[in-house]
Amino acid sequence: MKPIILIPSLLILILAPFFGQASIDLMDLSDKTSMSYQIFWELRVPRILLAFAVGAILSLSGLIFQTLFRNPMSTPFTLGVASGATLFTAIAIMLGLTLFSPLFAFMGATLTIILLFIITARFDSDDNASLLLVGIALSFFYSAALLVLFFLSSLQESYEIVRFTMGSLDIVGFDNAALMSVVALLLLLLIYHYRYELRILLTSYAFAHLKGIRVKQLNTILLLGVSIAVGVAVSITGPIGFVGLIIPHILKTIYAKSADRLIFPIFFYGGIFLVLCDTIARNLGTSSDVPIGVVTSFLGAPFFIYLIMNRKRRA
Amino acid sequence: MLEIKNYNSDILHDISFQLLRGENLIILGANGAGKTTLAKVLCGLIKSNSVEINGQNPSKIYGKARSQNINYIPPTLEIFDEFMTAREFLALSQLSNSFQIDQLLTLLKIEHLSESFCRELSSGESGLLLIASALLHQADYTILDEPTSNLDPMRIREVFKLLSDPDILESRIIITHNLDLAYKLGYDILYLQDGTIAYGGDNQRFFESDSLNHYFDGSVKKIENNIVVAL
Repeated sequence: MKPIILIPSLLILILAPFFGQASIDLMDLSDKTSMSYQIFWELRVPRILLAFAVGAILSLSGLIFQTLFRNPMSTPFTLGVASGATLFTAIAIMLGLTLFSPLFAFMGATLTIILLFIITARFDSDDNASLLLVGIALSFFYSAALLVLFFLSSLQESYEIVRFTMGSLDIVGFDNAALMSVVALLLLLLIYHYRYELRILLTSYAFAHLKGIRVKQLNTILLLGVSIAVGVAVSITGPIGFVGLIIPHILKTIYAKSADRLIFPIFFYGGIFLVLCDTIARNLGTSSDVPIGVVTSFLGAPFFIYLIMNRKRRA
Repeated sequence: MLEIKNYNSDILHDISFQLLRGENLIILGANGAGKTTLAKVLCGLIKSNSVEINGQNPSKIYGKARSQNINYIPPTLEIFDEFMTAREFLALSQLSNSFQIDQLLTLLKIEHLSESFCRELSSGESGLLLIASALLHQADYTILDEPTSNLDPMRIREVFKLLSDPDILESRIIITHNLDLAYKLGYDILYLQDGTIAYGGDNQRFFESDSLNHYFDGSVKKIENNIVVAL
């Protein structure tokens, strides 16, 4: 990893929990009864861990989707996985089952994946363009269904649904953060395990077939693994867009290496990026935290466009 | 042994032939005659039940058995990743130890390109890279689809010398429009016309003047033992 971005990144990670609306007194951090201790350990550290894990999952998922679908724009969000989770959460809110909304979100994501696989079982092994089109169609369908729910819901319910769709990293305690971290590590292990096959897929599907790769099986395993991880992430934080789209592209441009060699950097810097965005969101001085999705887009989009323009100039 | 029996599709009709291991074949035919389709059927990229290689259907096996039986080298290099280097690409084909990457880069005079990104190579350079990948892969049967189509005349001669070395690949099936290359290699000819085998057999007989006139309508002539396109 390049020290010029590694060192500031580590600093962000270490310093992030010290910034926030309530100031932390360093002396109190060892005192379990103090306010600083509680804010630091019960709120901020779990939140940063959660942000890191979710950022890492979304970025890796972007890498995998972009590689398998041969499309620089595809992420689990493009395929309707996140929209499915959002729709089901909205249903939970409408039914007054807010307590179970993470479960509903997970169901929505999983159901979408199952639906996608049932539909695409009819396609050829490497016809990912059709899968992408089906995913996009599903997204539109979900969006329309969500609008119907908005139309039917009360003001309070609408507000809750809107808040969920904005994404949020508000959690208390380590339970969700620990769960997310385990999921992130499992996803990393899965992808790392298939890094050789992934590298062959970076050439062409025909080439992979000729080298003896079981392309369809590999696609299924990777897409399923990624989609489950994203389903869990969305169920806890809501949809946080843009991270999965831009982080793989940014790191490819910076490193200029083939994608299979960027698995760890994308995991790490994807995590760092979301921690950075969250730290900014928590410190803008507004009465409540700015939605995380707003910050990822405001920060990411200009930088992303800058990189793309530079690349065009170089070529 | 490679065998295709009574293969029929929208493009190809009644295709049957055999090729023993160690034997070579040249496939000729006009644009759209079905040469590449036939190649993809043979190597299993187009699924069928009509092909057997060493007793196995290539579209139904995986892993080493699959890669060992047959390999197909397309006319142009297709690589999705922007930043894969020539050396990294070749490493993916290193399935045998008959050749080493550096040795082939030197042999094909492209050693200066080893760290270049594949997507930035010229069509001729990537054609040479593909030939190198075939030699690293060392399948029992290797189909080379227009291996010289993007090369300059001097390169074509070098590649001809390389391909005519009997030890370099076990069995090669070469699809080409370069009739002089086909003639000089001397392998048996399979001539495809509108998806059917219009000629299958001896090289010398195919390149006799009468036969050339019959298949190429006077556009090809034999001059001083070279096959020349007459415009």
